[in-house]
Amino acid sequence: MQVTSERTSQRGVMNTTQQDTAEKAAELLAKVAETRSRAAFSELFSHFAPKLQAYGTRQFGNEQTAMDLVQETMTNVWHKAHLFKPDRGSPSTWIFTIARNIRFDLLRKNKKRKDDISADELWPILAEQNDNLDDGYALDNDVLMQEIAHYYAQLPDPQRVVVEKIYIEGKSQQEVSDSLGIPLGTVKSRTRLALKKLKELIVEHD
Amino acid sequence: MIKSHPSEAILYQYASGDLSAAMTLVVGTHVDMCSVCQQTVCEIEHDLCSKHLDTVVQTLNTPSHGYSGLSKTDTDKMLEKIFSSEAKPAVQPDELICLEGRRFVLPRTLAHNRARIGDWTNLVGKLWRAPIDVGDRGHTNLIYMEPGTQVPEHTHKGQEATLVVDGVFNDEKDVYYNGDFILLDADRTHTPQTSAQDCLTLATLDAPLYFTSGISRLLNPFSSLFFRASA
Ligand SMILES: [Zn+2]
Repeated sequence: MQVTSERTSQRGVMNTTQQDTAEKAAELLAKVAETRSRAAFSELFSHFAPKLQAYGTRQFGNEQTAMDLVQETMTNVWHKAHLFKPDRGSPSTWIFTIARNIRFDLLRKNKKRKDDISADELWPILAEQNDNLDDGYALDNDVLMQEIAHYYAQLPDPQRVVVEKIYIEGKSQQEVSDSLGIPLGTVKSRTRLALKKLKELIVEHD
Repeated sequence: MIKSHPSEAILYQYASGDLSAAMTLVVGTHVDMCSVCQQTVCEIEHDLCSKHLDTVVQTLNTPSHGYSGLSKTDTDKMLEKIFSSEAKPAVQPDELICLEGRRFVLPRTLAHNRARIGDWTNLVGKLWRAPIDVGDRGHTNLIYMEPGTQVPEHTHKGQEATLVVDGVFNDEKDVYYNGDFILLDADRTHTPQTSAQDCLTLATLDAPLYFTSGISRLLNPFSSLFFRASA
């Protein structure tokens, strides 16, 4: 993946080189995401691993920890390549932010508690984007609890139980998922459906 | 329109991973809510990447001085380990929090830390607190003020960072709305209060609060209650 540079203007060469590299890396990431291509990944690895290793060595002053940073960063690249979005920045910036997260975790590992906060919670860059936070709870904030209380009895049982636990008992979605033994995604979709239904009922009767 | 942002120095430390976990949480939640800072953070990350990764030009076969490089054996071993690794299960953020008939949708970063938010405690009057366990020293809480609530006047030993998650509050100096980020130094005295609207804030503090006004002495245990995570 080394790009040969023509020696014209220094700055122009840099930009062209960087751009070519970025495009190539983006293609490889797409290939990894779509076809799980080991060859494409290996090419990414040979380009980025030495850079990550140098970054890790400077950060930790320790070869072994630097190797851990390379290993863990590139493992995330392998599994999460589909989360790279070319419109948001270059592949190397994306990989840098993954390495930044790994560095944060490696630095905290020394003073470790089992449930210590992880970088993925603080910078959720590798979270799947499918669950859009905006579309879910579209009830206006000023809809009163009484209104919900008035209409929620009309919901189908599975939705009613979820709404009851969240809005009346004040449980978190995770707690509801745990207590009912159903997946969090199901709790979310039931909440969403219930709120949609409630909204319709409230509008209907206004 | 958000008018109160973290300084560029703080955003830089946020992007490079050099803030405490608690401060990262507060700044990250602001960034979720603020398109201006999102843009700045993108640019900073690009700069950091140029500095930390792009400047390194050696390849596998031509390690530079002071750097041993990755051998072919290292590379093969690592690749093998990566290809045989399991993907971590996807994390589902939990973006909803309820209190006193109010329901809040948490911004992305906070939603990813929903499980770290403890139970609500009514402190005094119309003031509520839920601790967030980020494992740092210092104290991080969601603070909920019903309309017409006043936090007793106080100063603090350490720096206090506050983010308005939803609502509006004011102190002697200004009025703060959704997304506003306020950083106070140790020696500042202030009296946060709400009037017609309620307010949910995220706050982190290095050291316990010390109340300064006379009446607050009656609430002596309150100061530690306010910011201490429940056992
Ligand atoms: Zn901002």
